[in-house]
Amino acid sequence: MSRAGTLHGDAAAREPHTPQPTLDRPDDYLHARSTLRSWFLTTDHKRIALLYLASITAFFVIGAVAAGIVRLALVVPDGAIMTNDTYNKAFTIHGVVMVWFFLIPSIPATFGNFLIPLMIGAKDLAFPKLNLASWYVFMTGALFTLISVVLGGVDTGWTFYAPLSTAFSNTWVLPALIGVTIVGFSSILTGLNFVVTIHTMRAPGMTWFRLPIFVWTHYATSLIFLLATPVITLALILLIAERAFHVGVFDPAYGGDPVLFQHLFWFYSHPAVYIMVLPGMGVISEIVPAFAQKKLFGYRFVAYAAIGLASVTFFVWGHHMFVNGQSDLASLAFSALSFAVAVPSAVKVYNWTATIHKGNLRLDTPMLYAMGYIGLFVLGGLTGLYLATLAINQHIHATYFVVAHFHYIMVGGTVLAFLGGLHFWWPKITGRMYNEAWGRISALFIFVGFNVTFFPQFILGYLGMPRRYATYPPEFQLLNVLSSVGSTILAAGYLFPMVYLVYSLWFGRKAPANPWDAKGLEWETTSPPPPHNFSGAPRVPDVPYDYPIQAPETGSHHT
Amino acid sequence: MSAGTVDAQPVGVERVEHFATVAQQRHAATLGMWVWLLTELLLFSGLFLVALILRLLHPEAVQAAAGHLKFWIGAANTVVLLCSSLTMSAAIELSRLGWQRLMVACLLATASLGTLFLMLKGYEYYADYEEHMMPFLAGRPYALAEQPATRLFVNLYYVATALHAVHLVTGIAILLGITWKASRPGFLGRHQNWIEVYGLYWHFIDLIWIIAFPVLYVVNR
Repeated sequence: MSRAGTLHGDAAAREPHTPQPTLDRPDDYLHARSTLRSWFLTTDHKRIALLYLASITAFFVIGAVAAGIVRLALVVPDGAIMTNDTYNKAFTIHGVVMVWFFLIPSIPATFGNFLIPLMIGAKDLAFPKLNLASWYVFMTGALFTLISVVLGGVDTGWTFYAPLSTAFSNTWVLPALIGVTIVGFSSILTGLNFVVTIHTMRAPGMTWFRLPIFVWTHYATSLIFLLATPVITLALILLIAERAFHVGVFDPAYGGDPVLFQHLFWFYSHPAVYIMVLPGMGVISEIVPAFAQKKLFGYRFVAYAAIGLASVTFFVWGHHMFVNGQSDLASLAFSALSFAVAVPSAVKVYNWTATIHKGNLRLDTPMLYAMGYIGLFVLGGLTGLYLATLAINQHIHATYFVVAHFHYIMVGGTVLAFLGGLHFWWPKITGRMYNEAWGRISALFIFVGFNVTFFPQFILGYLGMPRRYATYPPEFQLLNVLSSVGSTILAAGYLFPMVYLVYSLWFGRKAPANPWDAKGLEWETTSPPPPHNFSGAPRVPDVPYDYPIQAPETGSHHT
Repeated sequence: MSAGTVDAQPVGVERVEHFATVAQQRHAATLGMWVWLLTELLLFSGLFLVALILRLLHPEAVQAAAGHLKFWIGAANTVVLLCSSLTMSAAIELSRLGWQRLMVACLLATASLGTLFLMLKGYEYYADYEEHMMPFLAGRPYALAEQPATRLFVNLYYVATALHAVHLVTGIAILLGITWKASRPGFLGRHQNWIEVYGLYWHFIDLIWIIAFPVLYVVNR
């Protein structure tokens, strides 16, 4: 696996007259070996990250096409474009694929996999074979879900509420359930690998409070993977048992309790929001200091806020059930706890903003995404407070207000952070620079397209348009058309990077080791890194984010 | 068994490339198993919590259904699993001493006790079937049909014990695989910590049963 770097790289050490067939072949992790086998049986965390990147991009395309179908159907109020069944299947595929096969693995399985060992100065994750296994588990689950889509689709929504999913739906629910259950194990294995790696594999001198925030947020995310995912696994196993063998636990006809499913489902699926959001927060915490050339403001608070979010998120699941027969006392407690989530979220937003303040700002593509993230996350977070308020929730529960709210968090948050991180670390991952002008244009398209798509949905929801219906009253058509138009702008914004990033793989400028003057061990090694990450032992700096400008500002910038 | 003292093997762990030291590697393996067990605990805890809440909501129905469980088979199985944990612990101690042959015998005894548990469990399911206590079978009338809330408890009993049995089946399969590897010469010099790490998993399966037995069989009996 490892090849001595000096053998091929160092001209002085070479016999001058001996022909060297591999002279021009770089020995970084991308080129060290090039057989298919060396990719599909690799245990290198960097290559596994790329396997994940390719797979989740494919799923993103599937989910996006399904979203396009949904937006197309909603251009007309009477549902004349497609049958209601087709519409139901389209939004279910969109939800299932985007949540389980894109958002949850998105940042952890790609950037987390690629960067955690680099950032902590390790050669690999603690369990490289398990890491590869987790990708195969992921693909197996994906295969089951794709089978259900190909056979004719599912119409239950991504939430699989019983007894619709166990007794009434006549679609291919079972393969989809099995697929999602299997994918959970890949999350668990990834989380396990991260936790053990962060505990045991840090380079000498890499103390907990020298870790980049990216590592902290992935630690917090991994805790949620480990503590929440088994509960959804159980809930899905119970669903499968009920649908396939009539072992009733949720269906009242079999003596079960449907609200029980909602409890078990949301016990995972609310924390899952933070599986999707926390890694994005880690990405933003890396990008913002680099492009402000300023030390991250309040490092310890940002780190604690990640753990705080991962803890509080386990106690708020009831806010999905305010109108589902939950006791008033429980609703009151869940409402108050949901408000508490705003505190660590705000801590992070304030700290990023304070880092930008008086920084030496460069508005390159990753920073454009990061600033878009901060704005949209604030909007998504504040509307979350509306939803956490019991009285207002009665009015907007299960309307487009909810849809807009969580898209501001999921797309405005996670997807923007994913794209920002992709541009930020693209030179490190591929060794090539992308086209900066196109990068900025696509960031702009995505920001504008996103807002045109989803802001009207806040108004629609406030006016009372329920989610998941194929038809709506004609007076809502203008806003729905606006939303659909926005989605085409958004789609263009997604298409550009797929083209210019791939183009850069062959024609992009060669990337230096540290194109952004960023701090962190991943920038100390070459771009792309060698198979075992560092050519020597990495030197851990005394403080993280040691940028020229101090935070808080001390008045004298030692630049 | 005089063999043990005679053929004491060298004991140790062979370092894998990406670890800096053997100590780091051992720490990672042990921590990894503990973390896995944490997720397993959460997998089961949802079921146990639901079963306990069900007792609060429908005490009579749960008592009626739990009365049909075969307490003495469950109790016997508890003893069987505790004994298997004893042999597993013995195997761990012997692996530290390097007494390979005796260790392999203990591993085989552990697998046998696990199999005995499954056989007893299978007999218990058969007895349940005979008593018409399988409400999910369409063609077989359910014994407590007039009390619908009993069905939820009975179904939870099946899901919980079947999930536990699945863990035991997997556990025995892995154990046999490890035993086969552990019987080969030089094993303890390279992978002694496999036995310790696997031992954690076996004890955990035991622990889950020790929670399941009182929650399902014993409370309010």
